[in-house]
Amino acid sequence: MPDLKQLYDAVVSGDAKTAQLITKEALAAGIDPLKLVNEHMVPAMDEVGRRFEANEYFVPELLISARAMKGALELIRPLLIARGDKPVGRVAIGTVKGDLHDIGKNLVASLLEGGGFEVLDLGVNVSPEKFIEAVNAKQADIVAMSALLTTTMPAMKTTIDALTQAGVRGKVKVLIGGAPITQKYADEIGADGYSENAVGAVALAKKAVGVA
Amino acid sequence: MTRRERVLAHLAGQPVDRLPLMPITMMFAGSLIGARYRDYCTDYRVLVEGQIRTAEAFGFDYVNTMSDPAREAADCGAAVEYFDHQPVALVEGQSLLADKARLLSLKVPDPRGGGRMHNALKALELYQQRVGKEMIIEGWVEGPIAEAADLRGINTLMMDFYDDPAFVRDLFAFVIEMELRFAREQIKAGADIIGVGDAAASLVGPGIYNEFVWPYEKQLVDGIHALGGRVRLHICGNTRQILEGMSRLGCDIIDLDSLAPLTEARQKMGPDPVLLGNLNPVTILRNGNPDDVTRAIAECHRQAGPRFIVGAGCEVPRDTPHENLRALCAYAHSHRP
Ligand code: B12
Repeated sequence: MPDLKQLYDAVVSGDAKTAQLITKEALAAGIDPLKLVNEHMVPAMDEVGRRFEANEYFVPELLISARAMKGALELIRPLLIARGDKPVGRVAIGTVKGDLHDIGKNLVASLLEGGGFEVLDLGVNVSPEKFIEAVNAKQADIVAMSALLTTTMPAMKTTIDALTQAGVRGKVKVLIGGAPITQKYADEIGADGYSENAVGAVALAKKAVGVA
Repeated sequence: MTRRERVLAHLAGQPVDRLPLMPITMMFAGSLIGARYRDYCTDYRVLVEGQIRTAEAFGFDYVNTMSDPAREAADCGAAVEYFDHQPVALVEGQSLLADKARLLSLKVPDPRGGGRMHNALKALELYQQRVGKEMIIEGWVEGPIAEAADLRGINTLMMDFYDDPAFVRDLFAFVIEMELRFAREQIKAGADIIGVGDAAASLVGPGIYNEFVWPYEKQLVDGIHALGGRVRLHICGNTRQILEGMSRLGCDIIDLDSLAPLTEARQKMGPDPVLLGNLNPVTILRNGNPDDVTRAIAECHRQAGPRFIVGAGCEVPRDTPHENLRALCAYAHSHRP
């Protein structure tokens, strides 16, 4: 029986090898895969987020922890699918048109995967049309937009308006984030939610699809 | 005293008639002359015209050659994308060093080889002819972590610090060799000051900064000094956690972004280094009114003390109201250090 505290530690310290090793052992020992995620990996990423806020961790540490979590998830996901577990929701995420910053967006995408979502990463410089296509063709439940530039923030509104025009605004929840974004701005443009960090983004997404 | 004499005297610790004024403009300068930003990045005549006209219109003490972070990487053969109204950008999905082994065969490009670096050198030569006696001419190179991020992909480089420290050191060494060659040519072409932009340094903590980044930034700063140039270090973003290291680099000007408090910088750096900045470019300079700007820059001056140069925390945004920028400039024009 593996020591699952080691899984938590491996994610917190960004040790992808150990995270995968312990996950393999745990799965072989018959431990519920969902329990690994919810009781060990998610709390580990919460701790990573806390250390980031406290200036103990910086971007490199965030990225290696997210990678360790994703590595373990790759082993777990096929099992969940095989036993018929559905993803909690499907998120189309991207950095808005004109904006090429993606570090924060990538972190949010990783944590959403950790939270049980299926994530369609549309990349950077994503046009409203691409978001709409993801909603129509891929049945996304959530559209998540990131913007780091004051000059590209308005593209969030343009995208929301385009979703409305395309007649799909009612089908999806829209979440936004990025350093210059505020709750006030989210309210102004009619987004359904805003969070200032990636851990908060997962809670928000769960609330949006009614699982939290 | 000429603008050039003013800045040089201030850096040398001699008395000056008023505060020097050196805000970073790029897209703002392009817009001022009605140019497409694409042309500002790719045609040195457009850049020079934009800079000189902006400096004249607002009474800046200097002109610069910076337009986007991709000059050196483009000459190395990295995939870059050009936009009509945005800075040239690296295509991260096709980064030049996606395969680390390519570093072994990568050659330092000739700065005079007809590429984007050459274009910057031509800008410097034209500045030298047009305003060389009068204004400070500032060149630009990318710092070790910024340029390494351009060549390797910023998301990947961040993890390389943990995965392959030896590769990171080799990559930084390559970058320093290239940037010093570029700096040498810039100084020959007439640059008085070399700006060093090391944006990605604000993403790492003091551990990685001190262990990996600082030693190469130091080599670069010392190298530029040995070539007879002066150094303006600019790191975008929050640098609070690395201020102490930055202070030990021996830069002539430390240009701080709005997220790094000047009081804290002054405390950590002692009374001597010249600090530049650090008015919030968006919330105050672009979105505020002239009174907000005057109040904020007076506060910056108070925090920084006499060893101070007026500027914003980062690039003056393209759509900044002219009266706001004018208020910033008026402060410099009417105050002694
Ligand atoms: C790295 C960086 C770059 C890199 C980007 C590389 C990349 N692949 O991402 C490069 C060099 C390419 C770059 C270019 C530019 N940049 Co830049 N950049 C930065 C920098 C230093 C860090 C950004 C970052 O990654 N932060 C770390 C991540 C983890 O934080 P984050 O993105 O905020 O994400 C967190 C939260 O916001 C949230 N979140 C993010 N997205 C979402 C989405 C949802 C749905 C939710 C719920 C939450 C959420 O969760 C994340 C994790 O906690 C910042 C300064 C700074 N320190 O903030 C400037 C900064 C963002 N850049 C700036 C500028 C001006 C530019 C340029 C225009 C500069 C130029 N002239 O070249 C270009 C624009 C290029 C373009 N068209 O996009 C300005 C923006 C000013 C403004 N407010 O408009 C900044 C603030 C610097 C400054 N002080 O001027 N930049």
